Amino acid sequence: MASSSAATSRAVEVLAGKLKRRQVVGSREAALETLLVLRQVVSRARFSNIEQLVGLIRDVGKKLAEAQPKEHTIGNIVRKVLHNIREEYNTATRGAASAPSRNVYSISMFVLQGQPRKHEIAPKSEATISLKENDTEDPDSFAKGIKPVLMEAIQDVLDEIETVYDNVSKTAKDHIHSDEIILTIGHSKTVEAFLKSAAHSRNYSVIVAETGPSYSGQDMATSLSSAGISTFLVPDSSIYAIMSRVNKVIIGAHAVLANGGMFAITGSLLAATAARAHSTPVVVCAGQFKLTPLWNLYHEYGALDFGDPSSVLGFEEGSLVNKVDVINPYYDYVGPELVDVYITNDGDHPPTSVYRQVDILIYWTFF
Amino acid sequence: MPPKTSTGKEKDLTNEDEVLQAVILADSFNRRFRPLTVGKPRCLLPICNATLLDWTFESLALAGVQEIFVICRSYADLVKAAIRESKWSKASSGLKIVPIVTAKETFSPGDAMRDIYTHGIITSDFVLVTGDLVSNIRIDEVVRAHKERRRTNKDAIMTMVVKESGAQHRTRSRGESGVFVLDAATSECLHYEPVIGYPHNTHAHIPREILAEHPETARLTSALSRRVPSLFQDNFDYADIRRDFVYGVLTSDLLMKNIHCYIAKEGYAARVADTRSYDAVSKDILSRWSFPLVPDNNHPGDHSYEHLRGNKYIAKDNSVVLSRTCKIGSNTLIGAHTSVSDNASVSASVIGQRCVIGPGAVLHGAYIFDDTHVGAGAHVEASIIGSSARIGEGSTIKTGCLIGDGVILGAGARLDRFEKVSRRREDISGEDADDEEDDEEWAAIEAYQESTTSILGEGSNAVVWPQRPLEEDEDDSFESYNNQRLMRIGDDAADLDLSDAGSVTESESDSESESDTDSDLHLSRTSSMTSASLAPDASALHSLHASAADSEFRSEVRQSLDRAFAEGHSVDNAAVELKTLRMASNVPLRRVREAVVAGIVERVEVVEGDVAKQRAAIAKMVHRWGALIDRIGGVDPVETVEVLQEHCAQSARLPLFGQILAALYQADIVEEDDIRAWHARPSSKGGDLKPGPQREGVEKCWMVGKRMIEQFDEQESESEEESEEEEEVQGKGKESESEEEVKGKEKEESGEDGEESEGESEEESEEESEEEEHKPPAKPTPSVPKDASEKPTPTGDAAATKAAPSTVEKAAAPSATITASSQSTVVAAPVGRSAPPASRVAQDDAESEDSEEESEEGSSEEEHEGEKSEHSSSSSEEEPGARAHGPGSSSSSTGTSSEDEED
Repeated sequence: MASSSAATSRAVEVLAGKLKRRQVVGSREAALETLLVLRQVVSRARFSNIEQLVGLIRDVGKKLAEAQPKEHTIGNIVRKVLHNIREEYNTATRGAASAPSRNVYSISMFVLQGQPRKHEIAPKSEATISLKENDTEDPDSFAKGIKPVLMEAIQDVLDEIETVYDNVSKTAKDHIHSDEIILTIGHSKTVEAFLKSAAHSRNYSVIVAETGPSYSGQDMATSLSSAGISTFLVPDSSIYAIMSRVNKVIIGAHAVLANGGMFAITGSLLAATAARAHSTPVVVCAGQFKLTPLWNLYHEYGALDFGDPSSVLGFEEGSLVNKVDVINPYYDYVGPELVDVYITNDGDHPPTSVYRQVDILIYWTFF
Repeated sequence: MPPKTSTGKEKDLTNEDEVLQAVILADSFNRRFRPLTVGKPRCLLPICNATLLDWTFESLALAGVQEIFVICRSYADLVKAAIRESKWSKASSGLKIVPIVTAKETFSPGDAMRDIYTHGIITSDFVLVTGDLVSNIRIDEVVRAHKERRRTNKDAIMTMVVKESGAQHRTRSRGESGVFVLDAATSECLHYEPVIGYPHNTHAHIPREILAEHPETARLTSALSRRVPSLFQDNFDYADIRRDFVYGVLTSDLLMKNIHCYIAKEGYAARVADTRSYDAVSKDILSRWSFPLVPDNNHPGDHSYEHLRGNKYIAKDNSVVLSRTCKIGSNTLIGAHTSVSDNASVSASVIGQRCVIGPGAVLHGAYIFDDTHVGAGAHVEASIIGSSARIGEGSTIKTGCLIGDGVILGAGARLDRFEKVSRRREDISGEDADDEEDDEEWAAIEAYQESTTSILGEGSNAVVWPQRPLEEDEDDSFESYNNQRLMRIGDDAADLDLSDAGSVTESESDSESESDTDSDLHLSRTSSMTSASLAPDASALHSLHASAADSEFRSEVRQSLDRAFAEGHSVDNAAVELKTLRMASNVPLRRVREAVVAGIVERVEVVEGDVAKQRAAIAKMVHRWGALIDRIGGVDPVETVEVLQEHCAQSARLPLFGQILAALYQADIVEEDDIRAWHARPSSKGGDLKPGPQREGVEKCWMVGKRMIEQFDEQESESEEESEEEEEVQGKGKESESEEEVKGKEKEESGEDGEESEGESEEESEEESEEEEHKPPAKPTPSVPKDASEKPTPTGDAAATKAAPSTVEKAAAPSATITASSQSTVVAAPVGRSAPPASRVAQDDAESEDSEEESEEGSSEEEHEGEKSEHSSSSSEEEPGARAHGPGSSSSSTGTSSEDEED
């Protein structure tokens, strides 16, 4: 008992430390790491009923989410895992009885999603073996019985995250047409995959903003042009000037909020606002795991994650450092009114219905 | 539980690369924070509401350190307890922290390091930091680089990590900093010199050898002054890490150890070495330079803060009570359970936990530790107030005050600038570090108390510390009062006699580096020319003994070498003897080199007439003893050549220079590049020497070198351009003709070298550089224009060509392994003109003869001025033709320069 729980708690501490020290950054990275830790926790956990397990995962999730509140995907993943575990538990204990309830589709869901979600497959029959909670004779019997199913449930989430780029870019050619000019900003892996996938069947140009102060746009431009897409790299200051020629703005997101707004790399607000001024559509590519049950109604200042000023003002500028306060937010908050559509690995959604997606996906399981 | 009980993956990791160890020197070994450090160690002072030790731990954890040894001396129990209670001692933190208590007699970091060494706990390379580090630099790559270096070079004992900061930077220590001389290519630290803030010194002394060794790479980065996780190998005997150890190792030739320097490009690193840097580092943390080590993200004390607009950090747990009318300015941190009353104003300050700021109090730049109450209407400006203090109503605390823990100031207390206040001695309990020094200190303090109640207010329990220590510790100028002032919080030291330390080093650091370089180069130049009075080493360290020991040393070395040669010692033994001699008389390395080179040169048998035998004799000598040149304590082939030149220039054996140089080259003691480097030096040409036999000799040597280099060039070009072989064969016929012609003229002119005008050496170097520019494009030029342009050479310039000494020719032959196929193609040589650089076409393999003539022709230029002008005009007439023939870039550039001439 001691060694296994010590090992898991150590894994949790290590990840929490890494998150705190910003050694794990990026929403997908954080999500994957969290998932791996959760899998370890579940596989080593000892529990005799489902509540114990849920409590355990909640504790771990809380610790990780508190370690880095700016990485919203940690919480999302924990919620998702909890949700899946409950589902599996329900099917396992109640057997086929719960299956009909899962396959009920409302009209609204049908409209929103276009098609039934794929991973809601028929209940696994092998899991319906007799599970006895709180067995006093063999306290581990419940855990032994249900663990394989739970691991499978976690694996589902893992698979979803690992295939997120492919699934987001599946519909790329429906959004990008030939001879279009696309503007993007930053180096979002999702957008990169999306654009590259569209390039298979469409011939179009991409304008990449440099995206200071990280200048990740430069990497993006290099990557796109090496994939054979005609690419222009422009300074951030010219975004507004060239917006009149742009057909579409495609950007990535760090977290998509329930109100339809999002956190995205600095400069996104600039691009989105310029696009709004020119009535250019703004398309956001994001994996579903980025949908976060949060609002930013009060434009909370600290939510933007302020980095160190050194990328803006060199530390060598001694006399300036004393006199100038440099503010270097890593993210912009882009409000829902500036975004036209979110492309996720589960279909396309307008900002107004993101809350609904969050609802369906996460079931508001606060932990 | 040790971190071993982790997953299999991690076990593999730990097996792969061994545990990274760190040593923290928790004791500062100085008293800059007094009286705040009365009753507790400095590393437990809070900065931004977490102790310095916590910040250091976090910095190390961030850097991937797994095992930490904390060395504590004073208040060891407190340190131990703090470590025990902190989150770091938990098994899950991934850090293994071992406090080590050293003896009370440990008075310096050097002692402490010895202590660790005797404990035998350090198993491999480790990171050494002081207990006051705030850093977010990832040093694991530094460690990797260090280990890599160690693998190839056992002498690389240490890598210093420094962060560049601008002069005038608030975080930069004004009181103590240093000048680093680094090798740009290898980032080896060639020289380090501690710089003291007061008395101010704008000059760094850089030993001449260093610039001589690495003339083009050495760069002066005086802007570096920041600390330093240093990696040691277990090899330390010094007192102050940077100041004494680094300096000692670098100036010692016996150790022959190298120290490398890593300049952190990214990241933040700073030491809280004094109250001034305490202020600066606090500000840096609040303005997020240390990100991700910022209060709202990864606070080492595990508090959580909310980041608000304007870099305000308020504790997150809703326990802070801020009055509706209080003003919280930017760059402020307020700890949990603190309340700020009505109309109070707090800006650029750090307030600890459970503090109470009274109504109407004004705090600006104040650092207030936990549990302190500031009374109504009090004014605190840029001061540090210890924990559990009570500041009475209406008190005024001016800039730079330090108020110890538990001090009670009565109402209306007025503290002047830079007052230090603590409780009375008997009130401070748990004083376990009472030693004699403290007794003296307290006696002084008690003697100082005359009428302090007026400034401390009624009911105060405090004593005021004297501003100046009674007797100043003269030994340690870094701790002197005036220098201390530079390290004081809020002290701009405007009255001290230094035009703002920061700006001086800033504005002069660039010019300084240049001027220093210049002057030092100048030094080396003069010294290389006038070996009679070797300029004393620029380093003050050496200068004292240099002159006294000079003559003695020389005779000793001569005797020692005589013995070695006569009795046939092994090279190693001779080297050891020389090293010992050098240490004993404390002379620069160059002197030894001179002596050795002179010894070798003078012992070469002179075989008159027979070139081959002479060559054999030299080769034998060099083969037997040449290795000694590199064994004397430093390998510097460029200097070897220079010394050889210098010696030959004065000696009767001048003719042997070329052959000896060739022999050295063959024996791999000097490389081609070294000869080039030597040759490129202005000093090698003897430009600034007074005309006389010595200068002549120097110049002759230089020409020999030039010829050698030309042969190298040919070698290269030949191997590169085999396609041009045919042309060369054609050219050789012509060349041999012209050579004969030249030789004939040489005989005529052999008498009249000598009287050169002063400007020429400059001119020559100009030519040389131009020549280099021309070289690459010149190669493809077809030979037709060459021939055309060749004609004026004998007519115009051969007369000006003086005889190259016959030895030159001899020397050139053995040194180059291939035969010289030189073609002289001087087109125009307006040496007498000053404005336009001499125009010439340096065609493909034409350097050897060509340049020789070039250098000579200037010498007798006055006599042949008439011819020259004629010649240049004729050449410019010829140019269009040449251009038409060879459209290569070389001819076009010649064209432009000839146009210049026509202006």
